[in-house]
Amino acid sequence: MIAAIVRTEWRAILRNQVARAAGVLMLALTVAAIVVSHERVTAVNAERARFQAGADAQWKAQPDRHPHRVVHYGHYVFRPLSPLAFFDFGVDPFTGHTLFLEGHRQNSANFSDAGQSSVLLRFGQLTPAFVLQVLTPLLIAFLAFGSVARERERGQLRLQLTQGVRGGTLLAGKLLAHGAIALLLGAPAFLALGAIAVLHGVVALEALTMLAAYALYLLLWAVGAVLVSSALPRARDALLALVGIWIVTTILLPRLSPDLAMRAVSLPTRIETEAAIHARLKALGDSHDPDDPYFSRFRQKVLDQYGVKRVEDLPVNYGGLVMQEGERLTSALFDEFMRADYARQLAQRDIVHGAAFASPLIALRRLSTALAGADLDSHTRFLFEGEQYRYRFIQALNGLHATEVKHEGDRDQRISSDHYTETPRFAYTPPAYRDVAVRHAGPAFLLMAGWLLALALAARYLAHRLERSGK
Amino acid sequence: MSHPTAALEARALNLAYQGKPVLRELDIRVERGQIYALLGGNGAGKTTTLNCFLGFARPDSGQVRVCGIDVGADLLAARAQLAYVPENVALYEHLDARENLDYFLRLAGGAATSETIDNALRAVRLPESAWTRRLSGYSKGMRQKVAIALAVARAVPVLLLDEPTSGLDPHATSEFNALLQDLRAGGAAIFMVTHDLLGAAEVADRIGFLDHGHIAFEAAAASGIGERFDVRDLYRRYAGAKEAA
Repeated sequence: MIAAIVRTEWRAILRNQVARAAGVLMLALTVAAIVVSHERVTAVNAERARFQAGADAQWKAQPDRHPHRVVHYGHYVFRPLSPLAFFDFGVDPFTGHTLFLEGHRQNSANFSDAGQSSVLLRFGQLTPAFVLQVLTPLLIAFLAFGSVARERERGQLRLQLTQGVRGGTLLAGKLLAHGAIALLLGAPAFLALGAIAVLHGVVALEALTMLAAYALYLLLWAVGAVLVSSALPRARDALLALVGIWIVTTILLPRLSPDLAMRAVSLPTRIETEAAIHARLKALGDSHDPDDPYFSRFRQKVLDQYGVKRVEDLPVNYGGLVMQEGERLTSALFDEFMRADYARQLAQRDIVHGAAFASPLIALRRLSTALAGADLDSHTRFLFEGEQYRYRFIQALNGLHATEVKHEGDRDQRISSDHYTETPRFAYTPPAYRDVAVRHAGPAFLLMAGWLLALALAARYLAHRLERSGK
Repeated sequence: MSHPTAALEARALNLAYQGKPVLRELDIRVERGQIYALLGGNGAGKTTTLNCFLGFARPDSGQVRVCGIDVGADLLAARAQLAYVPENVALYEHLDARENLDYFLRLAGGAATSETIDNALRAVRLPESAWTRRLSGYSKGMRQKVAIALAVARAVPVLLLDEPTSGLDPHATSEFNALLQDLRAGGAAIFMVTHDLLGAAEVADRIGFLDHGHIAFEAAAASGIGERFDVRDLYRRYAGAKEAA
């Protein structure tokens, strides 16, 4: 019996030229988004790999140098994109993806797409995520708004119920029909995710989790649209309500919640941060000033440690030790500011995530960007990993300064390039699936499951109402 | 105690909407092989009575039974005994006659074989050339035939009709009445609500006049040759009853 209801609903849609054309266009748009996004991500990754190889080649081509010159020579590192980034660009176009690592400074990430491209980029990009998150739900609503309400208006609902069919069976048939249509509309994207899972085993779990989440999201829309159609007396009312829900949940809330978060938790501007760091740096002390109290104490501590009276008598180059200590102090300061900034961004993000109770799209975006390795956590992880690498790498050079360069005639000496060209290269490691699942996918699934449960309860009530009143 | 063979029975029905009485101690009984026409003005309670039989309205007191099944207690079983033909036959326009019957028969849980469907369409005299045409091109009379064919295919003992002849031309009305008589001859109980006294007098065995939610009076058709009802007399009695009320 349910199969007959499903088949009749599908026939109604298939025999409606407008619905058929809209469905085909949406499928074509999804395929186009997949192809375009995949090409873009492939190109971006190839470009970043080329730049990284160029930077590495330049690094290796350095002549024999004084280690401190190498500290200032610096090195570029690039963040590679996950194979799933084609599905959801996340924050990547707006954050930098390149770090210049050098001594004494902690540089922020540079060369974001948004910073380099025209303002048009900010109006949104055609990614499979955008199509499935924003456009497909609108089509689902258009296809389902009349599923029950129009039949009520035409008297078909009463006629069906008088055949002795249960209200729940009738509603289940409509839900199944539109649920299947929703999944069909998402099919090209699901196939793409399946292909990624097969071709890139390293992100297979991420791809399959993403597939399940998008399927659940589209099902939520299908169920919601059919239930709105069941709840309201006229198809026109149902359409208006669904368009209203779409505007609020997919446009307004995802746009307004970050604004509210920024008002609630303000971030210092870059200039304010730079000024604050500068003030703190000045307070730390000046390693070049022989009378600086901190570095006077440090010198005495070193002399005591080695049991000598003068820095010239040390078995290591005191200049290298000072550089190491200076780097330790400044890096601790940079780290403190970086963590404080991250904590503020997390507080902002928590406010945005709170809005997910009213907008499943926010929950889906949280999961989607995290699994695609394009969320705030992934970006921050890149910054932290880059900073840790920078610190180890600079301290290794400062160590060479202390051990391989003599104190006397320090500045005029050079050491073999073999010392630093053999330094391990930076390799960004994305967060483990388990971490992403616990931090983002789990809560997002829980929230969407909560929505589904609420809709199931509403369906139960509406089915009973249909059966008893024919309305 | 009600007779077990009554196909359709309403006993002492009372129903009020927002404190306003719509049905008052309403009693109706329709036997198998009988056509009962319920007449009344706008707001007399005809549609509410029909909704009580269909299970879409719940009386505040009294009993509604279809083939002895209490509609309030076992709604689905009661609905399984009846077929309903609304005023505007609400079949699917994107389906043809056979597809419509197939769908509604499946909803009713019946066997939707081609033979059952074809026999039913033949029984209501729907031209075969129309069977595979979508209903969007059908006249009202043709749609009603499909709805009646559904009742035939389901072989239900009770048929409920809402203003069945409104909007039909004389030829279609005549064809429709002939169909009802066929069904009656097959033992079906037919209950129709209508404004059309002349049409009801032509086909009904009993006519009930509903006024302010209760039966003002009932008339039975005369047997034998000649006029089945004295329509003028019926009209006078109905007007008189209304005045007295």
